[in-house]
Amino acid sequence: MDIKFDSIEGDSTQYRLMMLTFASFAVAGFIATWYVIEHGLWVTGMNNRVPWGLQIVMAVYYIGLSAGSLVISGLYGVFGKLEYKPFARIAVYLAMLFLIAGLLSILTDQGRIDRVFVEPFVYFNLQSMFSINPILYIGHILICLLYLWALFYERKKLTSVVATLAFGWAFCVHTGTGAIFGFGARVLYESPLLPASFVAAAMASGTALMILMIVGLFRITKRRLDDELIIWLGRFLAICLLVVVYFMFVENAYRAYVVELRDAAMYYLFGGLHSLFFWVGLIVIGCFIPIFLLFYRKTGKTVRGIVIASALVVFGVLCERYVIVLPGLTHPPELFPGMEITESLLQEGIASYSLSILEILQALGVFGVIGFLFGWGLKYLKLLPTEARILKHYETTEIISREK
Amino acid sequence: MDRRDFIKTAGGLILTVGSGTYAFRILSATGVSASDPSNPLIGKKWGMVIDLNKCRSDCTDCLTACRTENNVSYHGDSRWDNHWIRKVKIEGEVGHTKIEKTVPLLCNHCDNPPCAQVCPVKATYKRDDGIVIVDHHRCIGCRYCMIACPYNARQFNFKNDDDWPNADHPKRSHGVAEACNLCAHRLDVGQMPACVEACQKCGANAILVGDLNDRKSEINRITSTLPVKRIREDLGTEPKVYYLGL
Amino acid sequence: MKMDFVNNKNIVFAAIPILIILVLILYGVLSNVVAIGSEPPQVVLERPDAKYDKCVRDTEYMRFHHWELLREIRENVVRFGKRGEVGLNKCKECHTSRVNFCDQCHHAVSMSPDCFGCHNYP
Repeated sequence: MDIKFDSIEGDSTQYRLMMLTFASFAVAGFIATWYVIEHGLWVTGMNNRVPWGLQIVMAVYYIGLSAGSLVISGLYGVFGKLEYKPFARIAVYLAMLFLIAGLLSILTDQGRIDRVFVEPFVYFNLQSMFSINPILYIGHILICLLYLWALFYERKKLTSVVATLAFGWAFCVHTGTGAIFGFGARVLYESPLLPASFVAAAMASGTALMILMIVGLFRITKRRLDDELIIWLGRFLAICLLVVVYFMFVENAYRAYVVELRDAAMYYLFGGLHSLFFWVGLIVIGCFIPIFLLFYRKTGKTVRGIVIASALVVFGVLCERYVIVLPGLTHPPELFPGMEITESLLQEGIASYSLSILEILQALGVFGVIGFLFGWGLKYLKLLPTEARILKHYETTEIISREK
Repeated sequence: MDRRDFIKTAGGLILTVGSGTYAFRILSATGVSASDPSNPLIGKKWGMVIDLNKCRSDCTDCLTACRTENNVSYHGDSRWDNHWIRKVKIEGEVGHTKIEKTVPLLCNHCDNPPCAQVCPVKATYKRDDGIVIVDHHRCIGCRYCMIACPYNARQFNFKNDDDWPNADHPKRSHGVAEACNLCAHRLDVGQMPACVEACQKCGANAILVGDLNDRKSEINRITSTLPVKRIREDLGTEPKVYYLGL
Repeated sequence: MKMDFVNNKNIVFAAIPILIILVLILYGVLSNVVAIGSEPPQVVLERPDAKYDKCVRDTEYMRFHHWELLREIRENVVRFGKRGEVGLNKCKECHTSRVNFCDQCHHAVSMSPDCFGCHNYP
């Protein structure tokens, strides 16, 4: 028995409609970005107090998503779990696409897009997280390409080497992304835990998205998928979620406990719309309900239950990314401890941020680009296996002996 | 040597040489050539003292002077206005007495500037004479410096301003970050910054700019003998803007 | 090399995105090559007052390398505070009109340098 890969037919109406939707998203995003470049970033609603907005949220979200995909490919590549070999190709392809999406999101957010391709690579600042991270991201994309190549040509040894490398590199990528915020000077950013909790949330969201992707794709294209494979992933997701909750608890308990950070913690936890995202979006919808669904015997052992939990996690982690980026910006830096600024020409107190339609269009555009590339890959590359099932013991030994 | 081998060797050679050159560039780009003997900035350390006892709470001459000198963009909307120097009113209680002060705030030209530390292209950097300045030709507009600045002193050109009050001096296109540069173009040719001149002209004479490395300078006398304070000294950024009576 | 991971039926369509990118790059390169091959435009040199009798460098150098000189000056001014005599403000004294001088060549070689967004040059 051998695992065969094949592309999808891609001539159904649904496929064409999907591609058309993605393409129109991409076009809309392109027009929005062009408009922003022409008129300046003020049209996106960002301002001097809240200089980062939705695009940065989406960038860290996408970069996080790519982690989980890589974990799933690593189950085969690093740990040699043959059952998960069918998902390896699609997982690596997705990991690459999500990193491209992250880079695109950052790119479209820059004030001077014309300089982004030259200056950062000519004048390099080793002290800046923004200088280190693009190198990590581009390296990650290249490693993913090599990984895909190894998988396509069935190079067993190269696969395991590159998979391990990609695994380690992904940790660096997510730590680096977390460090953009964690090493920052803002009260609500500054936290050595942030890079670590970023890795945990990345694992959770990525695994959840891969579960959705795998189940969706296999069901739509009517391929065989054994429930046990998904149930095991569900358990892995549950553990990731527990780690996320643990990190969230430690970080916020620390902020609420230390006297000088208490005001900031109160603002973070009970200070406005972002608190709603935190409590309802992240804690309840993103963590507690999925954890319950995954550990409860009746739902945790069914694909339906796991898929619902995964969808909630994917949403919850988006909220998590939002509460990483924005409260830290809207919370004012304290210039005069013990004093209050009553009058100023700038906004000095707590600032407000609201999404604008242009930012949403830009984010949709990035989504459209990678969606299109994903659909394209499904049709023209042999990414999907013909089936994914639990292997019998003699099959496993047979494959291993053949590969030797 | 067959073709395949040739391609392999050539490719390897190109990769090695290319990455080597690139690595050299990266490593050598980490420090601006501070040892250049013809560099006129070495040895100086510009600093500023603002005397809040002399500063008039209702006067905005320095703000206007700064805006017209440096073509700082202004639209009348506090979200996108840029103020290289701005005045804030602060209130607080010391003991049981309520105190109220008006403080001009500007870039503190820190000795350990967090904004320069995070700039991915070294567009923001500390000049050899201590002025923290933005190379607007290089800034990519990532706004990381605004996040890093603990003083809220940096602003971004969100919007183009059509006014051009000082035609001899450049303004900034939209998409780059900026902050007070202590009127480096004036200091370099021996003039005092625009805000200092405006403050002298209005009679308050509250702002003083001078060389902190020069032992005989007025600014050195004030900072070493009078009780000066800097904003958020606890952060370790070592600001070079001192306040009297804060 | 065997490409059995690619769906062979539609290999032509698979290459379309790559082709589009290649064509775009080629267009960018070619449009510049075409511009280089053409005749240089006639620029109008204006000298309202005869304060200077010649430019800081010879015409040949200025025509093809003035931007290198400007860059060097820029680096010296911005990074090291060496505010010398030469600069865009100095150019203005002889070449008074941007439309008649700078833009002539820049348009011909389809260059749009963004100097004038921030530096005043009437």
